[in-house]
Amino acid sequence: MQTSSSLSSSSSDSKPQMKEHCDHQVDCLKMIQLILDGEATDQQLARLKANLVSCQPCIQMYHLEQEVKELLTKRMEKKCCPEQLVATIKSKILTFS
Amino acid sequence: MSDTPTRDDQDRTGMPDHGGSTGSDQLLPDGDTVEQPSADTPARRYTDEQKYLVFNKEFMPHIDSMYNFAFRLTTDEDDANDLVQDTYLKAFRFISSFEQGTNAKAWLFRILKNSFINDYRKKSKEPAKVDYQDVETTYNSEDAESEHTVDLRAESVSDLIGDEVATALNSLPVDFRTVIILCDIEGFTYEEMAKILDIPIGTVRSRLHRARNLLKEKLRDYASSMGYNEESEE
Ligand SMILES: [Zn+2]
Repeated sequence: MQTSSSLSSSSSDSKPQMKEHCDHQVDCLKMIQLILDGEATDQQLARLKANLVSCQPCIQMYHLEQEVKELLTKRMEKKCCPEQLVATIKSKILTFS
Repeated sequence: MSDTPTRDDQDRTGMPDHGGSTGSDQLLPDGDTVEQPSADTPARRYTDEQKYLVFNKEFMPHIDSMYNFAFRLTTDEDDANDLVQDTYLKAFRFISSFEQGTNAKAWLFRILKNSFINDYRKKSKEPAKVDYQDVETTYNSEDAESEHTVDLRAESVSDLIGDEVATALNSLPVDFRTVIILCDIEGFTYEEMAKILDIPIGTVRSRLHRARNLLKEKLRDYASSMGYNEESEE
C-alpha cells in the first residue's frame, strides 16, 4: 500500500485516511477470525472492508490470521490412514454381526 | 444460546437397541449431532447388509481425516492407529444411532474425541497436567490475559515449514489444539464444532480466539529462535 507511507508524515495537518492505531483491536481481531472462518454476518463483512482501507493494525491482523490459517492448512502434513489399518477395520467389522 | 439442542431425551429412551452396555453409550453421539427429522422413528433398524453399506459409504470415506485428527490429538502414530480403530468399531457397533444421510463426519469426529478423552487419555503418556475440561477454567481465570492480540507480522512466520507449525500446534493444551484442528484443518463450522465438543457456540468462538493467540505466541517464539524474524523491519 503506497498510501501508508505518504500519510505518516502529514498526519497532523490533514484528516488521516489510514489509522495507525486501532482502538478496538481485540474486537477487530475477533471479527477478522469470524470472517476468515466463514462465520461472519454481512454487517461484519462490511465493517472489515471499511477497516481494511482505513486501519493499519487491522490490515496487519488480517494478513497474520490469513497466514496462520494457511500455515495450518497448506504447510502441515496431512496424515493419511495406513492401508493396513483400513484392512484391519474392514475385517474386524465382518466378524461383528 | 438458542443453538443448544433442546431436543429431549425422549428419542433416546425410545431406543432400546443397545441395552446392556450402560456405561458406554453416553460416549456416543445420541443424535444431536444432526437434525433428527422425526422422533417417531426411534431405532433405525438396519439390516446387516445395510449396516455394511452405511459403514462403507458414509463412514469409510472420512478415514483419512479421522486418522489425521487422531494423529494430531495423540501425536503418535501407534496411538492414532488404536484410536481410529476403536472409533470405527464403536461406530459400527452403535450404527443404529446414526441416521443415514446426516453428517457422518461430525458424528464420527464426536465419537473419536470422546474416545480420546475417556479411553485414551487415561493411559496416555501425556501426564495429567491439565484435564480436558479444566483448561477452560484455568484460562478463564486469566481472561484479561487471553483477550489480547499477539504482536506479530505475517511475514515473520511465512517461512516456517510444516514441521515447525506442527511442533507449535502440538505444544498447545489439547483443548486448544482440538479447536484449531477442527476449524482450520478440517473446516468444520462453529455449529458442528459445538456439537462435536458438546460446548456452546460462544465457547467455541472464545476458545478458538484463545487457541489462536497461544498458537501465534508459539509461532513467534519459533520464528525468532529460527532467526526468521527480522528481515528488514526494525
Ligand atoms: Zn481496526
